[in-house]
Amino acid sequence: MSEPRPYVERVGPYRFLRLMAIGVRTHVLYMSRSPLQLGEAVVTPVVFATLAFYLFRAGGQGDQLLQASVGAGLMGTWSSVLSGSGAAVQNQRWLGTMETLVAAPTPLVLTLLPITVSTALVGSYSMAATLLWGVVLFGVPLTFADPLIFVVALLVCLLALGVVGLLLASTFVFLRNANALANSLTYPIAMLSGMLVPISVLPEWTRPISWVLPTEWGTRAVTTAAGGGEVILPMVMAAVLGAVYVILALLALAHVQDRARRAATLSLV
Amino acid sequence: MGRLASSARLVVVGGMLAYRALFNWTTPAMFVGTLLAAPLLRLAFFVYLGRRLGIADDRFFVLGNTVLAASFVCVYGGTMAVANERRYGTLGAILLSPRGRLTLWLGRALPYVINAILVVAFTLGVSVLVFDVELAPGELLALVPVFLAGIVSCAAFGLTLGAIGLRARDVFLTANVAASLLLLLTGANIPASALPGWMAVGRALPLTHSVAATQAITEGSGPAELLPYLGWELAVGLGYATLACLLLRYFEYGSRRRGTLDTV
Amino acid sequence: MRPMLAIEALDLSRVFHVRSGWLRTRRTETIAARGISFEVRSGELFGLLGPNGAGKTTTIKMLNTLLLPTSGTARVLGHDVVRDPMAVRRRIGYVFGGDRGLYDRLTALDNLRYFSELYGVDPREQRSRIAELLELVGLAGREKERVEGYSRGMRQRLHIARGLLNRPSVLFLDEPSIGVDPVAARDLRRTIAELADAGTTVLLTTHYMAEADELCDRIAVIAGGRIRASGTPAELKTRVRSRDVLELEVYGVDDTHVTRLRDLPSVRDIAVEERGQAQLVILQVDQGADPRRDALDVLDGLRVGRIVNREPTLEDAYVAIVEEAARSAAGSVRAPA
Repeated sequence: MSEPRPYVERVGPYRFLRLMAIGVRTHVLYMSRSPLQLGEAVVTPVVFATLAFYLFRAGGQGDQLLQASVGAGLMGTWSSVLSGSGAAVQNQRWLGTMETLVAAPTPLVLTLLPITVSTALVGSYSMAATLLWGVVLFGVPLTFADPLIFVVALLVCLLALGVVGLLLASTFVFLRNANALANSLTYPIAMLSGMLVPISVLPEWTRPISWVLPTEWGTRAVTTAAGGGEVILPMVMAAVLGAVYVILALLALAHVQDRARRAATLSLV
Repeated sequence: MGRLASSARLVVVGGMLAYRALFNWTTPAMFVGTLLAAPLLRLAFFVYLGRRLGIADDRFFVLGNTVLAASFVCVYGGTMAVANERRYGTLGAILLSPRGRLTLWLGRALPYVINAILVVAFTLGVSVLVFDVELAPGELLALVPVFLAGIVSCAAFGLTLGAIGLRARDVFLTANVAASLLLLLTGANIPASALPGWMAVGRALPLTHSVAATQAITEGSGPAELLPYLGWELAVGLGYATLACLLLRYFEYGSRRRGTLDTV
Repeated sequence: MRPMLAIEALDLSRVFHVRSGWLRTRRTETIAARGISFEVRSGELFGLLGPNGAGKTTTIKMLNTLLLPTSGTARVLGHDVVRDPMAVRRRIGYVFGGDRGLYDRLTALDNLRYFSELYGVDPREQRSRIAELLELVGLAGREKERVEGYSRGMRQRLHIARGLLNRPSVLFLDEPSIGVDPVAARDLRRTIAELADAGTTVLLTTHYMAEADELCDRIAVIAGGRIRASGTPAELKTRVRSRDVLELEVYGVDDTHVTRLRDLPSVRDIAVEERGQAQLVILQVDQGADPRRDALDVLDGLRVGRIVNREPTLEDAYVAIVEEAARSAAGSVRAPA
């Protein structure tokens, strides 16, 4: 009997980074070769941005166009993370790779995390496209209160989006039509996170839900970084809640994997 | 008589069976999640956005998005009804069938029309209650033909997308792009006053005239004034139905000529 | 000294619950495995043979940790598959047939790089290991092409390379030759034999008899979720050694003929294969008996072509075992009435 090599025994920082890097490379490469995901990435931000610009202008909020731009960009990013995570998990079933991923001696969460990080990276293109679209066609000035903080806040927000995507992806593992369910979650989470629509116009009872969403704090960080105001607290909150979501995802995965082994749902298309 | 009954049977029974086989969302959870919850939640998003910006009342966004609710079933349904035949490799067997093509494919659309009616009724009912929208009985009555025309025309649009999906490499790409275009261009979420001129291209899409009709109703138009909207909506639908049939016939002919029935 | 056991399956059973229906959901219960026990010694090439739906894949998935057994236990290299799946996963490879299971829009090289990371191949070793495996499965030089352009045989070989990345001590091969052309299948068999020679324990499922006969050290025939017979190919053949085989090429055999042939006193088993216009009727008969006369009487009026008398093969043994299983299952259903 051959002894297991020490490299796989524990997932140390080195192996973690390698897993992330190679996983992200693989999945970004795969997505970039999918006409479906590319097409969506191009069309979705344009639709959100155009709707947002005309609506904000009609509402006499022409001075708020940068906020409209940022909000629409976040919505594009979120929609890409969500449909991306759903599609990625669904894809593993269609391709038949899900079983090889689960049978690998690597914790499934470390296999899924690069997938959602990839979707957030691909999604961040949405933000860039929306800002550009705004500048070129609607003359939205890119007057960020602090451009550097904006970039930092955006990165934190992308991580928050990726983490929520991870939690959802881990439950998608045993749902047959994961991508279909993803469709119905785009708007409610965008709304509860205050993208485009501030949470202050939502009914009072939804407030606690918003507070526990890392995406709400991430969005708040990004919008205040663009318009000016307190940025650090929301960033810290997004990071802390993000960590909690990773733990939740771990628990969900442990449960889901056990269920999948019991109910034999892994290979079902 | 016998022939008519047989055609009717093909439309109803064949269509329903194909629906069960090809529609991906026939489990209760998926049906509720994607077809009932998703349109309602999108509607809520735009109602709140409208409230924040103060550009139009709740009625505008509720009615416009109720019309749009049909698009989800019709666009994805139509795509699956035709294109899933390719995915499951059953297209060859279907094309070998001696039955009339028109009845065959129209049968495919029928279940989606019924499904869309359910979805629209549900969306309207729940959103009227939740957002406390006032609708007079007369208005409600006038809305019925408007919704129906939109659904029928959108189902025809869905069949066209399905036909394109037979050739497209990624069938859901066309469906997703089409769904996005309907959201943007039908005017369901941008009040007429703010609608830029170039969005008039939306008039070539289904649902646009129905959305305009709902606005006319809330502005107090009588039944006679609604007729042009209905006429245009149905004309657009007829156009797409014709296009779908031509595309399907063309693809069928082309695949027989090149001997690529299964790889259509 | 007793050799180390690579796989021990003890009384493995698996029940599937399938929900169907829309509003009133019905739960149907399918028993895919009912008390499967066998042992595979280290370095052995063990075959699981059986018809479609016999429970082969279910058994393999319980052993490679993808499925939990409903009851029973199993150990791979001494590690319990239920309690310690990670230890098992580190030491095994899993390859299944068909053309799924690969990232088709990526190149073979990108696929192998990704999986070698997931399967914990030491980074310093990855490059040389991948090159070595591409050479082994004959894909060297084609590794920069996208998998979507690969033939079935090439995909299957890439699958095998993927399954071998972590130098598994135990390799599970689930119908690897399905849909592969004869030449590619021969190459595949050679690769499997080489792996076994190098000391890898292989558990192979297949329904190609010739493949099992050529490759396997020992075979278990599984049908209806139970192991019906096991032993070396030679031992299994002895089950039918007391028999001869009579093959008749006939045009237009129907069920009544088959029943009447089966009822002939010296006929032990019967199988019918379609051969274009004709059918090949394979009769297993008692050694020394020659029911040729009686058989021709039964087939009176039909055109009969070639008639051959031959020694039994592993396939005949397999048919005998599966037929017997089917008969006993039918018997147990009929019994209460």
